[in-house]
Amino acid sequence: MVSDSITNASIHAAPNNNNNARDVGKKKRARSAKLKQCKLDVRREQWLSQGAVKNKDYKAEQNGVVEELKDRNNHRPFGNLGMRPGGGENDGSIHHHHHHDIDLDSNSPNSLTSSVLGSNYSETNFTGSSSSSSSSSGGCCSGNITEDDEGGGDDGCLDDWEAVADALAANEKPKNPCLESPPEHDPIAQSGSPQETTIGSDAPSFGVENSKPQCTRTIPKASGNGLAWRPDDAFRPQSLPNLAKQVSLPNSNRKHYGCGGVPWAYSGVVSAPSSCPICYEDLDFTDTSFLPCLCGFRLCLFCHKRILEEDSRCPGCRKPYEHEPVEAEASVHGGSLTFRLPRSCSLITRS
Amino acid sequence: MAAVNQDNTLVVATTTAPSNSKQSQPRAKTVDSQSVLKRLQSELMALMMSGDSGISAFPEEDNIFCWKGTIIGSKDTVFEGTEYRLSLTFPNDYPFKPPKVKFETLCFHPNVDLVGNICLDILQDKWSSAYDVRTILLSIQSLLGEPNISSPLNNQAAQLWSNQDDYRKMVEKLYKSPKA
Repeated sequence: MVSDSITNASIHAAPNNNNNARDVGKKKRARSAKLKQCKLDVRREQWLSQGAVKNKDYKAEQNGVVEELKDRNNHRPFGNLGMRPGGGENDGSIHHHHHHDIDLDSNSPNSLTSSVLGSNYSETNFTGSSSSSSSSSGGCCSGNITEDDEGGGDDGCLDDWEAVADALAANEKPKNPCLESPPEHDPIAQSGSPQETTIGSDAPSFGVENSKPQCTRTIPKASGNGLAWRPDDAFRPQSLPNLAKQVSLPNSNRKHYGCGGVPWAYSGVVSAPSSCPICYEDLDFTDTSFLPCLCGFRLCLFCHKRILEEDSRCPGCRKPYEHEPVEAEASVHGGSLTFRLPRSCSLITRS
Repeated sequence: MAAVNQDNTLVVATTTAPSNSKQSQPRAKTVDSQSVLKRLQSELMALMMSGDSGISAFPEEDNIFCWKGTIIGSKDTVFEGTEYRLSLTFPNDYPFKPPKVKFETLCFHPNVDLVGNICLDILQDKWSSAYDVRTILLSIQSLLGEPNISSPLNNQAAQLWSNQDDYRKMVEKLYKSPKA
């Protein structure tokens, strides 16, 4: 009963994908292991809400989780996940899962208001998961790839997941060849059976939360126990060193951060100096997200204003400053910051 | 300028900036000289830590706006083994304006006149606030070995440059060690 309401809620939450959801619902009804599925569903929704917190790494996270689950289904279909669909035909269960994933994929971006970038990705995710599940070996492969990306793109949550993994008393070795990421995904895959009862009791609250378009309340819950700063955190101290790993993975950068912004600008953020090369004052967050010239030379807003008053040429390349500075960071939390820079600078230019 | 500043802070205030104390600071002369002070101190620190060979600079005892620098002629140039003292005077709007750099040791060079003025584009119209004492001294050091003959301040040196052996003799003849 509980599970019924959950699935209904999630279907309602996605008015745009009603057809898709209805198809999935039909197939679900034909299956026997519905209750277990829905618990997994809840489990995934919990994951997706965390993915929405991350916002930018949303796709990789979600994809990674999905692929990981599928991977595990292929190899141990009825073991840890504790789902035993009657006859136990291997292929059927995978197939079932696959459609379930699609349901989630198409559902969540609509229900989570904070995932601005999600809607574009749901399609690519869709095709990615379908192709990988049709051939099981391909599923393994793409799973690894996305996990690689994820590990490079978001290292800050690793501590968090390691803690989770410890808490769940992992009962098997990560069999994934990827060195860093497995602890991130293992907990869900493993915790299927031992934690199912507790998760089930949590289920209604999660379902309700997801059905309402307000998942932002889960943000502090998800990030509260993670001590590490994420690289795109607005309140991350500028003095913290940036992760060099992100520079070394240009593809993943483009995939995660390239949307809605300039890909090269992000790599510039990573290598941004911690102090202004003109006045040697520390750059605050506004300054580091400020890229006044295409040559990539960064300086604080104060010195930039000063130069605009004088010869108005970039100290790095000596070319005259363009009137509209390039917006460096595509993913600033909240709109106020993104709007402030161009406005204040156009004021300066007029002076 | 004050009005612009106010406008600027107003914009920041209405868009609820988290913390931007820098922008709300009044642009006064004292703030300027303080920031120049900070910049010069940081440069001095960086210069001492960098360990560049052949260049050095240090402020005069009582005035951080006046530095004395030394440049040692690069290897495989006619200036090899010679050492030159320079004076660097920083304006109040440094680094937005270049410092005044002069040779205090007589330097027989096509782009240095007899009183030590240097004709170097980056010290004039090609100045960028991204330059600092270190890059200035390194530029002058490389200028010694690669003069711009087409616009000389010292015509005699420019004409002699083509004959490197004679030029070397002339440098040695005119050179008096700054320490002597």
